[in-house]
Amino acid sequence: MKFSFTDEQIALRDAVADMVAKECPASAVRNAWEGGPGYDPSLWGRLGAMGVFGLLVPEPAGGLGMSAIEMVLVMEEVGRAALPGPIVEQAAAAMPLVAAVPELAERWLEPALAGEAVVTFGPMGDAAGRGVVGTPWGAEADLSLVDHGGQLLALTRDDLHSAEPVSQVDGSWRGALLTPGGGLVVPDGDAQGRAGWERGALAAAAELVGLGARMVEMTVAYVTERRQFGVPVGSYQAVKHHLANAHLAVEYARPAVYRAAWSMARRESTQGRDVSFAKVVAGKSAALAGRVALQCHGAIGYSFEHDLHLWMKRAWVLQASWGDAAVHRARVARSVIAGHTLDTSQGSDEA
Amino acid sequence: MLRMNVAVCVKQIPDPAAPGELDPGTNNLVRTGKLILDDSDAYGVEIALRLAEQAGGGEVTLVSMAPNGEVSGLRTALAMGASRAILVSDEKLAGSDALGTARVLAEAIKRASPDLVLAATESTDGYTGTTPVQVAELLGLPAVTFAKKVEVEGGNVKVERQTEAGYDEVICPLPALVTVTAGVVEPRYPSFKGIMAAKSKPVDQLDVAGLGLSPDQVGAAGAGQRVIEVADAEERGAGEIVEDDGEGFAKIVAYLEQLKIV
Repeated sequence: MKFSFTDEQIALRDAVADMVAKECPASAVRNAWEGGPGYDPSLWGRLGAMGVFGLLVPEPAGGLGMSAIEMVLVMEEVGRAALPGPIVEQAAAAMPLVAAVPELAERWLEPALAGEAVVTFGPMGDAAGRGVVGTPWGAEADLSLVDHGGQLLALTRDDLHSAEPVSQVDGSWRGALLTPGGGLVVPDGDAQGRAGWERGALAAAAELVGLGARMVEMTVAYVTERRQFGVPVGSYQAVKHHLANAHLAVEYARPAVYRAAWSMARRESTQGRDVSFAKVVAGKSAALAGRVALQCHGAIGYSFEHDLHLWMKRAWVLQASWGDAAVHRARVARSVIAGHTLDTSQGSDEA
Repeated sequence: MLRMNVAVCVKQIPDPAAPGELDPGTNNLVRTGKLILDDSDAYGVEIALRLAEQAGGGEVTLVSMAPNGEVSGLRTALAMGASRAILVSDEKLAGSDALGTARVLAEAIKRASPDLVLAATESTDGYTGTTPVQVAELLGLPAVTFAKKVEVEGGNVKVERQTEAGYDEVICPLPALVTVTAGVVEPRYPSFKGIMAAKSKPVDQLDVAGLGLSPDQVGAAGAGQRVIEVADAEERGAGEIVEDDGEGFAKIVAYLEQLKIV
């Protein structure tokens, strides 16, 4: 097993880090809170031009044919910037699926690769059995891939009977309850849907690591600058220990995410267990980072004007998306008890 | 012109985001760690790529001098789309001043036989701003500095040259050297495909002897300049407080005029 990244993988990560640092500052995240589609179309184009949407698309289809390993490195940087929009949904979950289904590829692959079309993936399923499916950016996306009554449906905007907005604690997040009025039933949708959900869960875990890391960094910067009783507040042990705990949690989650990516890239039989474990620890670490960051910032951290909450609330939403901790813990438990079998069953979010 | 060969001088510098360090003996910047592409050179690379694209073909060659065979900054520019790079790296080059650097770059540029040489107005870690014109002089090329727009028409380069009052239009026969100011174009981000392609693009590594220069023309041995002393920058003052007696605006206008902002 090789435990280090290649120079090329590092270069891809750094290129994304550099681009999102310049093109997606905190003000851009805040803009998504102010209204509009909840993503920046010009940034979507830049992500497309860079190749982010083609990462997991095979080379003959116009993608880069890369693996989950490159994907998590990119997603960690996306999380660090709290980039708004259905990036996990499009780049990780949907794109390989769009490329694999000729009926979808013909119309959507090229614009989706270029970031000119927005594709989303409804991981929530028809949870309440009401015939509606909760889908992130379901009203804004050009194409929604959703689990509807056990079938994977591809819905264009024309296929929507209605899209009822769902609000979230993260104001940059857009969700909708979609009522399909048509759409294409994706062939082999069950397996495609499960694989997409798996990729989305892993990408969300990577994003959570980035969010957590950034919150720790933000807080370290703040407590180094903020002085009380004549010294920086970060010089007090009570503050230091809190931040050390948060840092440790994030550092512990990162290799779990890398391991899951390696398992997915190699199609290991432990893939399901590893992805679930990564999602659990990444979610927990980001939640801890957020809580510690909030406490160490003091009153300013509670204010809407401070940027911390943009990152913290994203972490809360992502922790509960793509299977919450209960779903993933149950899957880890089942896998451990059953031994190393390829468990790609996603369970249900109410588990 | 069917093909447009452009050489771009690029400097690989210590990351400005990391605290810099000076050698206490020579007062020179320590350049032992990983070096990155100087941000101000990305504009020259972008303009060169556009000129080659507009001409319908041609090569963009990067020319750089760096310690320890450092190529990470060059890879960034190759990933943006440059065709190849010439890197001069030699222990004998340590301590080079602007003229020594210009001698090295000029010799390296000759090997690319470019129609046009581009450089930034100055580097982010050195700021002498003298190297590009020295390169032009050594190559016997006309130099146009502070370009904010560069176009090639026929056998000429047409430049909008930034001045304090606005800009001059300068038309100059090729080959020529042009320095470009930062911020005039938006440098492209390297794409993943570009990053992967950059790995296999040629980087010709040369040393002082390979360039046909003698060791006493370059490095500390050939340097006519030395850093005698280093002092901390002055702390920012408290600023001036002006009581507004109804004529405060005049003071603001006078202040801005003094800064040549208005």
